Amino acid sequence: MLALKSFKETLLRLLQHRTSFAGLLIVLTIVVLAIGASVIAPRGYAETDPVNRLLPPSGQYFFGTDVLGRDLFSRIVYGARIALWVGLLVTFIEALMGVTLGIAAGYYSGIVDKAISAVTDMVWAFPPVVLALGVVTVIGPGLTQVVVAIAATSWPAFTRICRAKVQSLVNREFVLAARAIGETDSSIMARYLLPNLMPSILVVSTLVLPSAILYTTALSFLGFGAQPPTPDWGAILADGAAQLRIAPWIATFPGVFIVITALGFNLLGDGLRDILDPKLRI
Amino acid sequence: MATPILSVEGLRTYFYLSGGVVKAVDGVSFTVNEDEVFCLVGETGCGKSVTSLSIMRLIDHPGIIEEGRVLYKGKDLLKLPESEMRKIRGREIAMVFQNPMRSLNPVFTIGDQIAEAPMTHFDVPSRDAWKTAIEFIAKVKMPDPEVRAKSYPHVLSGGMRQRSMIAMMISCEPSLLIADEPTTAVDVTIQAQLMDLLLEIKKRRKMSMMLITHNFGLVAETGDRAAVMYCGKVVEIGSVADIFREPLHPYTQGLMNCLPIGTQRKKELEVIPGTLASPVNPPEGCRFAPRCGFAMGECKLHEPPLTAGGKDRFVACHLYRS
Repeated sequence: MLALKSFKETLLRLLQHRTSFAGLLIVLTIVVLAIGASVIAPRGYAETDPVNRLLPPSGQYFFGTDVLGRDLFSRIVYGARIALWVGLLVTFIEALMGVTLGIAAGYYSGIVDKAISAVTDMVWAFPPVVLALGVVTVIGPGLTQVVVAIAATSWPAFTRICRAKVQSLVNREFVLAARAIGETDSSIMARYLLPNLMPSILVVSTLVLPSAILYTTALSFLGFGAQPPTPDWGAILADGAAQLRIAPWIATFPGVFIVITALGFNLLGDGLRDILDPKLRI
Repeated sequence: MATPILSVEGLRTYFYLSGGVVKAVDGVSFTVNEDEVFCLVGETGCGKSVTSLSIMRLIDHPGIIEEGRVLYKGKDLLKLPESEMRKIRGREIAMVFQNPMRSLNPVFTIGDQIAEAPMTHFDVPSRDAWKTAIEFIAKVKMPDPEVRAKSYPHVLSGGMRQRSMIAMMISCEPSLLIADEPTTAVDVTIQAQLMDLLLEIKKRRKMSMMLITHNFGLVAETGDRAAVMYCGKVVEIGSVADIFREPLHPYTQGLMNCLPIGTQRKKELEVIPGTLASPVNPPEGCRFAPRCGFAMGECKLHEPPLTAGGKDRFVACHLYRS
């Protein structure tokens, strides 16, 4: 039930904000690539062609071909799908865990808050990549394992922001008023507090999403994430690293895409933070 | 004889802070009768609001309701399970808060917020609740109810927000409305309008009202009976007419002397010497004794109990004992 008007207003201000508009454009491009991958990509991502191996970028192969003669452009376009999906999935899991715990910690003071905060601090101190490596060592490599491991260690960002915001919100009289009309705790949390947290959640999401993409591509680069022939950008980059001297384009393009995607989300997030900053609003 | 709708007996609410125990409400007793406006008067920090929050059982950590009884229509609210208490809040006893700027949820339209209470208590579908909301927006005399229902709190003025708040609180037709300084945060002209509105609603619905205020003018205009609080204790209870005609407790007398009287031109208003006693370390004996011009040796030793001081009047002062 968040205001439609304020959504429109936010969008309008986003378009006026120069850097975040650039960010929005980048993000939209990646989204279009991901959704329309099967239409945009001229060939399949696993289609090998032994005759045309390691060709440089040309009119026929925009980004060249790799060691198995696969079209790099097609692989990168399909890779957008994986990057975006992984990013969204990790962010969603993190938001679900982090926001729930954050609201609970902020709303119930005392022992609940102490317990959640202690766990949050502990997890916060744990490097995601290290846990992911551990998980992969135990149950074998794969994108799912990586997603779970990254999500399981990065949710504290949401918890901390939500806890702090809720702590300031529960002292507002509208929460007291909600209790005075007989609302239950759970309905106060879901219907009164959560909607007020949405702007913050959105901003944190735009920061968490690119870092999730970076982590998973890093793990795929190391060979623990996506397995061949999955066109994960990190995995393509790893392939390219071996051919760096004879076919530098293979490593360059996925690298550029990883950087641009992360940059796009960060720019968008910065803009959103400026626009949604409660201090700048009435 | 008027029938009581709410009687508070020996209510004690303490806050356990690191600096000590704040005895915000320390043995408060009074009765609110059906169909009357009962005023709870006192300085800032004397425990008026904590009393009202204790009645609603909305006291949060580190505050604890230590003891006492809050009998509402014969039921002790302090003994009810939380789920039963939720049915009382809003449905039986509702509460209007002081600051309308902060007591509405900024991300929902006021129509949605007013519709919340009927949806919570009567389980009505949202479309009907919306209609109820519009109906109540009209009842609190806001122009264009359909349009107003779709506005967000930040586009409304303070008076309009307080009207929305009142609409929200009366939407389940409670029997008792606790108004905690409902007009403190708005302009004087709006104050008068809001009080008129509250009194009119009270009259039409045969609702009882507990008005918490530090404004004696408001008490004189609207109240039937009043209790004066000082430092977590009730020092005097009586009908508003009696209290104004002949205040018994020295504190009440002091407060009356602080008031400007419209027709007389006094040079200077009197003040009560000293400051409000600390609720952490209240003085021994009568809490008002250090500031009281009539203090006797007795006052510093024993706390005066609330005793009858005339017809339907009670006062806690050694001057009126024996």
